[in-house]
Amino acid sequence: MSASPERPRLVVGVDVGNSTTESCVAELPASTGAVGGPPATDPRWLGGHLARTSGVKGTSQNVAGIVQSVRGALEGCGRALEDVDVLLLNEATPVISGMAMETITETIITESTMIGHDPSTPGGEGLGVGRTVGYDALGEVPEGDAAIVVIPREVDFEDAAAAIEAARARGVEVRGAVVQRDDARLIANRLSAPLPIVDEVAFVDRVPLGMDAAVEVAAPGRTISTLSNTYGLATIFGLDPEETRLIAPVSRALIGNRSAVVVRTPSGDITARRIPAGALELIGERTRRSVDVDAGAEEIMRVLRAVRPLQDATGAAGTNVGGMLAGVRDTMAALTEDDPGDVRIRDILAVDTSVPQEVRGGLAGEFRLENAVALAAMVRTGRTAMERLAVALADETGCRVVIGGIEADMAIRGALTTPGTDRPLAVLDLGGGSTDAALADREGRIATVHVSGAGDLVTKLIQSELGLEDRDVAEQIKRLPLAKVESLFQLRLEDGSVTFFDEALPAEVFARVVTLGDDGRLTPIPTRASLDAIRRVRREAKRRVFVVNALRALEQVAPDGAIRRLDFVVLLGGSSLDFEIPEMIAEATAEFGIVCGTGNVRGVAGPRNAVATGLVARHAEGEDGATEIAEPGNDAQGTRPGDDARPGHDAEGPHRGDAGVAGAPTEVRS
Amino acid sequence: MSTTDSAGAPTTTPTPATTPTPSAEPSAASGPVAAAPERTLELTEKGPAEQGTRSDEVVIALSPAFGDFFRKTIVDLPLAEVLRQTLAGIEEQGVSARVIRFFAGADLARIAHAGAKLSGSGVSIGILSRGTTMIHQRDLPRLSNLELFPQAPLLDAEAFRAIGRNAAGYAKGEAPEPVPTRNDFMARPRYQAKAAVLHIKETEFVQPGRAPVELDVRIA
Repeated sequence: MSASPERPRLVVGVDVGNSTTESCVAELPASTGAVGGPPATDPRWLGGHLARTSGVKGTSQNVAGIVQSVRGALEGCGRALEDVDVLLLNEATPVISGMAMETITETIITESTMIGHDPSTPGGEGLGVGRTVGYDALGEVPEGDAAIVVIPREVDFEDAAAAIEAARARGVEVRGAVVQRDDARLIANRLSAPLPIVDEVAFVDRVPLGMDAAVEVAAPGRTISTLSNTYGLATIFGLDPEETRLIAPVSRALIGNRSAVVVRTPSGDITARRIPAGALELIGERTRRSVDVDAGAEEIMRVLRAVRPLQDATGAAGTNVGGMLAGVRDTMAALTEDDPGDVRIRDILAVDTSVPQEVRGGLAGEFRLENAVALAAMVRTGRTAMERLAVALADETGCRVVIGGIEADMAIRGALTTPGTDRPLAVLDLGGGSTDAALADREGRIATVHVSGAGDLVTKLIQSELGLEDRDVAEQIKRLPLAKVESLFQLRLEDGSVTFFDEALPAEVFARVVTLGDDGRLTPIPTRASLDAIRRVRREAKRRVFVVNALRALEQVAPDGAIRRLDFVVLLGGSSLDFEIPEMIAEATAEFGIVCGTGNVRGVAGPRNAVATGLVARHAEGEDGATEIAEPGNDAQGTRPGDDARPGHDAEGPHRGDAGVAGAPTEVRS
Repeated sequence: MSTTDSAGAPTTTPTPATTPTPSAEPSAASGPVAAAPERTLELTEKGPAEQGTRSDEVVIALSPAFGDFFRKTIVDLPLAEVLRQTLAGIEEQGVSARVIRFFAGADLARIAHAGAKLSGSGVSIGILSRGTTMIHQRDLPRLSNLELFPQAPLLDAEAFRAIGRNAAGYAKGEAPEPVPTRNDFMARPRYQAKAAVLHIKETEFVQPGRAPVELDVRIA
């Protein structure tokens, strides 16, 4: 089965990650790697490659991606699949993660009390108070009355302006207008005296007529000051203290608007309601605690810290969070072909976010940013899925497949090929679904932890906070810096600098906010949000996921939980290639006096390929730590009895000292 | 194809090829804008069209016979209303407008691009007598455009308002959502012959070599 002892052996390490499958090819001198063989010799690195992971990490769906990645790596160094002596597969730490998001607040306007949708072009300026009157009834308003006229879509702007002028000429005090079409400036420009006008009120027919109302429009660049002030409202409508207390939410809801309308109805109100999202039950080793999801991310994480290590998490049946976790569980179960009842949630990351939601009862289709909580949950699967994958892979490639090595252990070995590193060393593997940390001390003891939430959650946060329909757009915003096309020859980058072009840019990017591709390609972003707003959302999402998780993970592997006692941290994984995440983490860890930087595996591969490289390095040292061999075509018979021989390899939470056990060569050759 | 169904109004279908998807409700166009008495359009030449200096202006460039020989678009929308709504769209955005007439050709891209070159903001709207319209920008190649509305029969008053609004948006350096373009597969067979006749007629008014003139617009 193995190559003849005279020939150097060709070994490929394969690391299946959440989003990418990486492989690393190396040649080992003939006699190493065997049990009891001569001392290890350094492998000769031939190259590496990465491909998209097919399907969900740790399942048989991965075969296609693995084959593609291995072929790519072999082609890169002019070798063929037939030459391969052994494929080393990481024990893809059976961690898969799922995400869910729940809105926990909603705004309800009752009795059409308020219009606060901030049209881009309101008309006039100032504050007007009067009684609401329909356009058709304007001619019947008695002389001397103060009126706010409500103008539906059918009325042309010139006719509207003429009617207001006519009413004024009769002695009616027209104090303001509420308009359905985008006509505010057109009407205002045609009046002899200015008038505050709020337009684009979609459901103008629902504005209660014959009620006291106030219209306020601020000067450009300013925000309203009277309607957004509770006592301002109280003054206008002559409210008593009790009524003032009731109307306070209305004024609060209008803060920051340039224009607004408030109608005083008998029991009109604005409610910012918290939606009962249900309670999250966190079950730890020693204790179990329950926390309301609508308490927010901070509270959830505080409780989680108290029960750590987490054994499982559930949500009360019939509540939103219950449905959410059940959904995660079902997805995981379907993927791993386990029973949903056996799926245990081993970590949760809760993140506060906001989602644009249409206001219930709003007259202008107003949107408000409502609070939401995003949960990333991480599940450990059984090893059976891994075995199935190994067998399928052996069948597909005709190569011997060895599963071996704890991912974090391998990551450390890979990271140690970075020039300038030595033990003790901590690594942070920033992936797509989970963030992993591992610490190797001087003696080689290794502690590891996996926490849920990484790149995919960032994408999801960006997508929901910007209200994007397309996930790919969110992914692009996450990966690439932004720029604004100021003219067809001029691009303003997000750092404020300007780039000029000799040839005109394409018409479709004109005046748009674009992402700046690595190859200089500009892709317009289909949103009305400004560059600054998009940038803020992007950076906040990264900070709330990666910085929070980096500290959370390091804290769990650090001696006595003191991050301060770590010296060197190497960042690995696809997300370490991000243009700002490593800086954010470095900044956050600098507080603790830690040296932190992005890894450079084998001195060439950057933060990529660490686990694949580590697998080969470990194999070369002759301590595979392998527990399984899958032979082509022999079904699962290649599985060793040593399967569960390593106590604690499936243990949860930080498993310190694990490598000491795992280090024993347990491979049995067929 | 049947010609008997001509009684039905053009159906609104999402565009397959042109510009982004029309996410806005097509019913926005259904409300009659002005069932009011027909307005008259009076265009008076004020002299040669000058290069604009204000960065907050949009130039509307009209074809040779717009409002002169022609008073209505291919679907009988009065040109007075076309221009009024386009101007209103620009005005609502707080941007100023200048109207010029192009004589040297009846090709929309030429007309619109000439307007863009004269526009202080570099943004222009070109309109043919039959209704076909384009938003253009100075720095683009002539045959390119920012937004093109090729199916004149589908352009109503509401569409011209939106076109004016968007052109003003570009002039202000904003990034307006492109006006949803509608598409009617029957428009082509039904109006092709008429469009050809209208184009030939418009071409008769072309005065090669004559420079664009600025117009004084009176809509009463």
